[in-house]
Amino acid sequence: MSLAKSTAGLMAGMSMLAFAAQANAGEVRVTVAEYSAKTGPYFEEVKKEFEAKNPGITVKFEVVPWDVLLQKLTTDITAGTNADLSIIGTRWLIDFVQQDVAEPLDGYITPEFKGRFIDTFLSPSIMGGKTYGLPIAASARAMYYNKELFEKAGIAKPPATWTELQDDARKIKALGSGTFGFGLQGKEIETDVYYYYAMWSLGTEILNKDGTSGLGTPGALEAAKLYKSMIDEGLTEPGVTSNNREDVQNLFKQGKVGMMITAPFLSNQIKDEAPSLKYGVAAIPAGPTGARGTYGVTDSMIMFKNSKNKDEAWKLMDFLFTTEQRAKFTQGEGFLPVNKEEAKMDYYVHNADLAAFTALLPDARFAPVIPGWEEVAQITSDAMQKIYLGGDPEAGLKDAAAKANAVLKK
Amino acid sequence: MQNRFLPYLLTLPSLFLAAVVIFWPVWDLIQISTHDVSRFGQLRDFSGLTNFAALIGDPDFVAALWRTGLWTVLVVGGALLLSVPVAMILNTDFYGRGVARVIIMLPWAVSLTMTAVVWRWALSGESGMLNSALLGLGLIDHNIQWLAQAETAFPMQVMIGILVTVPFTTTIFLGGLSSIPDDLYEAAALEGATPLQQFREITFPLLKPFINIAIVLNTIYVFNSFPIIWVMTQGGPANSTDILVTHLYKLAFRIGKLGEASAVSLVMFAILLVFTMIYVRLAMREQRA
Repeated sequence: MSLAKSTAGLMAGMSMLAFAAQANAGEVRVTVAEYSAKTGPYFEEVKKEFEAKNPGITVKFEVVPWDVLLQKLTTDITAGTNADLSIIGTRWLIDFVQQDVAEPLDGYITPEFKGRFIDTFLSPSIMGGKTYGLPIAASARAMYYNKELFEKAGIAKPPATWTELQDDARKIKALGSGTFGFGLQGKEIETDVYYYYAMWSLGTEILNKDGTSGLGTPGALEAAKLYKSMIDEGLTEPGVTSNNREDVQNLFKQGKVGMMITAPFLSNQIKDEAPSLKYGVAAIPAGPTGARGTYGVTDSMIMFKNSKNKDEAWKLMDFLFTTEQRAKFTQGEGFLPVNKEEAKMDYYVHNADLAAFTALLPDARFAPVIPGWEEVAQITSDAMQKIYLGGDPEAGLKDAAAKANAVLKK
Repeated sequence: MQNRFLPYLLTLPSLFLAAVVIFWPVWDLIQISTHDVSRFGQLRDFSGLTNFAALIGDPDFVAALWRTGLWTVLVVGGALLLSVPVAMILNTDFYGRGVARVIIMLPWAVSLTMTAVVWRWALSGESGMLNSALLGLGLIDHNIQWLAQAETAFPMQVMIGILVTVPFTTTIFLGGLSSIPDDLYEAAALEGATPLQQFREITFPLLKPFINIAIVLNTIYVFNSFPIIWVMTQGGPANSTDILVTHLYKLAFRIGKLGEASAVSLVMFAILLVFTMIYVRLAMREQRA
């Protein structure tokens, strides 16, 4: 008797759990990436303002650290418990579209709405003629340099080419006292991207025209040799493979590194953490032919196909992409404006740092829209780490190109 | 009649719980690993052992497999070797023993991830505490980049692994030591046994069941331990400090090969199961003899 009772109790408990997992009517759940300490408070504000304007709709933001975002989405989608909206890296979008979990937004987008965006940033979210995501965050990379170190070393202006960069790095190295010419990232996320900067300026793209990996080309080899020679000559910080992007940024903030390539948010960090640091932002150096490339990144907000509250979710999206909201978010996080009206605001027009980034946008490359891109990036990062640790560039790249091509063929 | 079924009936609820918590996930893993599976876990065609074959053909997996063995043996072995003397000292009566016990147990109270984060900072090449301490003591004349290559990173990870395994192991041994009656030592001392003989003839044999427990439990924990290696190097540079769990995580959540990742997970499960069964069997036979 008691057994039957407890079983019944257990069943009741389980069915209650099942109910709890279902969305309430009028509730919009949103998974957002935590870009900085300002992200959470910003979305709290959004929740308050939006709910006040739209009675009957409640918004629930789930703020997830960027590093575990893809893991959370994968497990949520597998279990069918994903939110209604989510921020994703636009480079993942193709997987979401192919697996049919992303809802096309064209039915909601009016010409006026579409007109709000700068095309460069909206186009990566369009696939097969359908818009699957809206760019919520946009960023590019440029070169930061330490003006004080440049002055001490007698360098008049930031290097325009990689050859000049090497010369300048030698001069900064000669200053001694624990200063390093060029900050080279060799660990964790975007290790591959740091290598593409040199590769792009030497005329090689991530994918060749025929869709195979660019790692097997002479330009790729030259770029790897360039970085390796700088490591061997001591022009970079020591222990390249132990420094991720944040580590190199920290060295830059401490005034130990002459030059590094990174995203606009470093300006915000310097303002908060090292306000006395004198620095400038310049273009990424060019190769002998004048070619150069920066990495353009957008994150998109997508709607899930299985969302039960699509209309409410769209209302929230519409609200998030108003000029006022965009400006608040973008300026807080230190991203680039994705909204035309927003880009005309004084904050952006009179900002020398951001001007350097926007000037590079014509040279921006976005991550190629191919399935298996993350695996190719991983293969490239691994190959670079081996080369930075003293491995032979030629053999390393040949091996990586073969592995990448095997992935690309699938 | 009633007596024969009663034990089964009584274990039924816990069996049910075990089924939900253990058997169901394993069944799920078997499903995923034997199918062609999408990035988000939707099963497609049955693919047999393709995922397992892909693993064996992957040099990174094979390297991670061996390294996991090395990692487990070094950490568990190191922790055991260190814990026996530590437990014996803490078992003797001395002034400040309470404080000493607390200090030994402290690493246990700190989350593993946090410990690893602190060590990552301490081992940082340019601003790490370890380098400045060694420089200050005059032991090195330039900064060592601890985490830049596996040759220095992996031994450090093993050392931290040992450090965080000692408290638990010491606790087990302290329990064991306090169960050895003092009369044995008194009698042995009367017969003229040296401390070394006392250890070999009394302490070690009587501690053996506890050592066995420590070996089995620690092997399971350490074999599956993710935070230390992930936080410090993410298995890098170039996968040279990967163990099976970190390899699995990358396969599943970076690259999106859930099928292969599930296969790794099953391989790990099988290794641990076989190890535990053989070891427990051996240990029990020894005890009976």
